[in-house]
Amino acid sequence: MSQLANELKTEIIKALNLEGVSPEDIENDAPLFGEGLGLDSIDALELIVLLDKNYGIKIDSAADGKAVFHSISSMVAYIESKK
Amino acid sequence: MVLAEIIQPSFLVQPNMKVYINGIGSVNAQQAGYTDNFLTEIQQTEQHSIRSIEPDYKAFINPTLIRRMGRIIKMGVASAKMCLNDAGVEQPDAILTGTGLGCIEDTEKFLGAIIQNNEQFLTPTSFIQSTHNTVGGQIALMLGCNNYNFTYVHRAFSFESCVQDAMMLLAEKAEQNVLLGGVDELTVNSLKLIERLGQLKNHPITSLNLLNYKTRGSIAGEGANFFVFSTKHTESSYAQLLGCKMLYKPENTEEITESLQQFLQQNKVQASDIDLVLYGYNGDVKYDRLYTEVKDKLLSKSSVAYFKHLCGEYHTSNSFAYLLAAHILKTKSVSPSILLDDKKRLVKTILIYNHYRGINHTFSLLKAC
Repeated sequence: MSQLANELKTEIIKALNLEGVSPEDIENDAPLFGEGLGLDSIDALELIVLLDKNYGIKIDSAADGKAVFHSISSMVAYIESKK
Repeated sequence: MVLAEIIQPSFLVQPNMKVYINGIGSVNAQQAGYTDNFLTEIQQTEQHSIRSIEPDYKAFINPTLIRRMGRIIKMGVASAKMCLNDAGVEQPDAILTGTGLGCIEDTEKFLGAIIQNNEQFLTPTSFIQSTHNTVGGQIALMLGCNNYNFTYVHRAFSFESCVQDAMMLLAEKAEQNVLLGGVDELTVNSLKLIERLGQLKNHPITSLNLLNYKTRGSIAGEGANFFVFSTKHTESSYAQLLGCKMLYKPENTEEITESLQQFLQQNKVQASDIDLVLYGYNGDVKYDRLYTEVKDKLLSKSSVAYFKHLCGEYHTSNSFAYLLAAHILKTKSVSPSILLDDKKRLVKTILIYNHYRGINHTFSLLKAC
């Protein structure tokens, strides 16, 4: 979990160009959207592409996406469930 | 409308209307921003391109927005913000952006991703940011401004199209503040293409000696220069703009001088009234001769200055000339770094004559206010 979480944080920082943010600044359970990192709908599209490109995982429905992208922990859990 | 009017658009200020430049903002190759001590320290390069000196963008743009912005967007939005601050204007009545090539860095990213990922995994950000009107759109978003917003992408007429549109807007409705600017960026790939097109010098150069080589090619440049045009004169007004004219593909020097004479007559200015001419000399011996021929035929009594050794050649480089002219008229001083022939005249009236590779010729008249 920890290794995958750190890997994911690094990939998100790079993909979303989060200047001045390090993996340590992102809490595993903090919300990614709204509060926390304050990501928006364009970032959601970037995260969908990131999961597809880096992990071969497609998000099939918007409802799934909302739950998957809630936090780093939820993303990690989703990736591990698809392995 | 006859063909001559279509290819030589010229907009004259209405008889009772005056257009003033009330604010300036710039990200250019000489200074990170624009201040009164502009050109007191001249930046030169031995490269074949001149890059802008970029300011700390966080001082002008919300950091959460910066992360998605390419260089051209950051340069444009920051210089627009500087300009509005300078003019003391919070909400402009119109936003006009001119760009020759638009957001090419993001375009390259998007197209590169298509190739690298075999047309899959395309991310939205660089696509969204790659459109030509992104700079104008981001300025409007930053300001929450829903007013008239237009981007002109007319190669080397892009900035001048903004100028003419601004003058028409001001003519339609008095007491407006129009924000307008020219912005273009250089990327590694665009520079390679410019080189392959043979538009760069193919020998070692120093930018300040650009006119001494008498060879083909020039140096590439970039920058963002924004202005607030208004019908209201304020204590901080830089200059008054009399008119702007575009001339497309003239056949010979006679056609250029004739068009220029018409432009001066329309503005009730004699050639002898012009104290200084800012020419767009870029060091390319093939095209620079046009400036010299016009100078010798019509403008021999005016001081001669040039500017592309300071900013490089790009489609909207004339916006840098506007910045320079406004600075000269406001500060009543001319940097020796731009003078080729000093007639020792007090500079009250400036003509800017610029052309891009002999195709897009533009005349602009500014005077002290």
